[in-house]
Parts: sequence; C-alpha cells; structure tokens
Amino acid sequence: MKEQFSGRMVRVHFGEDDRWQGKPLYEAIVARCKELDIAEVIVFRGIEGFGSGSRIRRSGHWTFSKDAPIQLSIIDTDEQIARLLPILGTMVEEGLVATSTVDAIRYRRSSASS
Amino acid sequence: MLNPGKAVKVTIYLSEGSTHHGVPIYSSILDFLFYRGIAGATVTKGIAGFGADHHMHSSNLIDISDHLPIKIEFIESRETVDAILGKLEEMAGTGLVETQETNIAKAAQTSRARPKVQPEHLKIEGKAQMMRIYLSEEDRWNGKPLYKALVEAMRANDIAGVTVYRGILGYGAHRRIHQDESLFSSHRSSLMLSAIDTAEKLRAFLPMVDQMVEEGLVVFSDVDIIKYAYRAPDAPKEAASPAHDADAE
Repeated sequence: MKEQFSGRMVRVHFGEDDRWQGKPLYEAIVARCKELDIAEVIVFRGIEGFGSGSRIRRSGHWTFSKDAPIQLSIIDTDEQIARLLPILGTMVEEGLVATSTVDAIRYRRSSASS
Repeated sequence: MLNPGKAVKVTIYLSEGSTHHGVPIYSSILDFLFYRGIAGATVTKGIAGFGADHHMHSSNLIDISDHLPIKIEFIESRETVDAILGKLEEMAGTGLVETQETNIAKAAQTSRARPKVQPEHLKIEGKAQMMRIYLSEEDRWNGKPLYKALVEAMRANDIAGVTVYRGILGYGAHRRIHQDESLFSSHRSSLMLSAIDTAEKLRAFLPMVDQMVEEGLVVFSDVDIIKYAYRAPDAPKEAASPAHDADAE
C-alpha cells in the first residue's frame, strides 16, 4: 500500500547525556512521539560535533564518553508536527530544532497488497 | 515495454564459479539487468562445455564441478542494449558477450509499466533533491538485505551518491521500536538511506523503490548543491571527494 503526503521533517540536535526525568532525552522524545502516533522517528549518534554552548561532543570509544552528538529525525504531516513542536520546546533545554518541508511516500504491507 | 519488430538479443557466456566481489557473476549481472529495467532475462546452466581456456567442464560426479557453463540471455531494444553494453562487458570479465539482431514476433505482456531511468551521469549544480528512505535493517529483497539491494540499484542507475545511516533508536511504519541494544550483534536497527541527485533522476528511480520497498517511508526535500565532484577513472586523486553533505535546508 502506497500513500503520498506532503509533510514536515523535524531534526533535533542535542547531546547523548542530556536527560529528561531521569532517562536519556532521546529515549523520552521517541516514547512521546510514539504516544502522539508520529509516523517516523529515527535517532542517530554522531561521531563528533558541536552545538549550542560550543562544547565539542565526541563519542570516545576508549573513554566510554557518553556525550556524543545526537540527531533525531522526525517525519509526519504538518498537523502532527504542529502538535509535537511545543512538546519538543519544553523537553529540549539546550539544543537545536530545525524543520523543513518534505514530500513523503509511505509504504505499508497490507493483506490486499496493490 | 518491448514492441514487436526489430530488437537485439544479448547472450553472455560465463563460468558458474566465477565471482565478482564475492558474488557469482551471473547473479550480479542478473541484478544489474533488473535494476536497469530490462524487459526480461534468463539464466541457463549448461551440463558440459568449454571456453577460452580450452578446459572441458562437465557435471561428472567424480570431480564435482563449479565451473559449468552459464548462459544469460535477454532481448531488448537497440538503444537500451547500447546504453548498458559497456558495463556488461566489464562485469562479464573473461566471459564472452554476443549480440545478435533479432525480430520480436510477439512481445510479452506486463501488468505494470517498468521503470525507465535515464542513466546519464549528469553534472549537477544548484537545485537538486535529496531522497531519504527509511527502512529496517531486517528488510530483505531477493535474499539480500534491502538496503544493500537499493544501494546496488542506485549505483546501476548512476544516482550521484548514497549513504546508509544506522539509527540507534527508532520506529517506523510497523510501530515496532528498534533499539541498537548491543553494538556488535544488532541487525534490527532502523536505517536511513540518503541519496542526492536531480529531481528527474530520483523521480525516475521511484518505480524501482515501489517494487523493492514493501514497508517504509520515502521523503523528498529540495537541496542546493554547493559542490559536486567525483573521481573519474584516471583523474588525479586531489580531484574529488563526493560532496554528499550539501544539505541546505
């Protein structure tokens, strides 16, 4: 099954050691997205970077440093993203949230596949 | 779609055991033909034969042979054959490639239009598009990981560049959360493929994505290419690094 829609992509950048109510911020955001039934969420860990505050973040393999740069990529329709953005605003204390317009095609397995 | 009338039949003779990057050559050639939207191809295995090296290869049980002759045949229009023949000759390695004028009396029927991708490797400047494909590492196509098959298909169609990213956490169409529990043993991560090329080439590739991706999300966004350079076969080394992160959103 193929479904086309025009929507928005949100990318959120912060550090791996950022927390929200005791658990990693990225896990908390993914869980919140799932509650809101957001279509697609993926979290990437960068190997090096810097952001607000200009601290260099590195995922040190040998030091087991946890402060790697984290990027979340979230995609859904404009309405769904509009619901999510205020929530992201309260959860992300230090970081960057960027949105862009995208054309999306969603493929889903269905019993009566076309 | 092939129409009745003049066409070209291409036959490639190979040895069964010959490999290309660790994969049997006939299988990488067959994948290539599929990715390029060839109307149809058949692989047949001979029971005995000999080639340029004049060794007799047979399926004698005493020496279990993996060098039996393999023949790949397909019929296509002259333009399509000309467009892919160079690459085929390269892939066939030491094998023999034969073309033959033929006549199609009756064309095979298909239920859907086949993908038509313009293969020219254009120099891209300015406006382009980024196509991101979100899928799961577990997804497979024809017995191989789907992300690998997609990268091969894009390469066969001269898409300017593609990178595969593995997510550490995520979920998609199936609503199952994928978490990279162990750095060493997880094969169930969320993946993202990011490809950049002109809007026309990416849109032309889309029918192939339709055929290969059963479950996933494909997203297009506009980007500006700041620099695009690629290393031509004999170009000096300093000439290039693929400017694949020209992500201007």
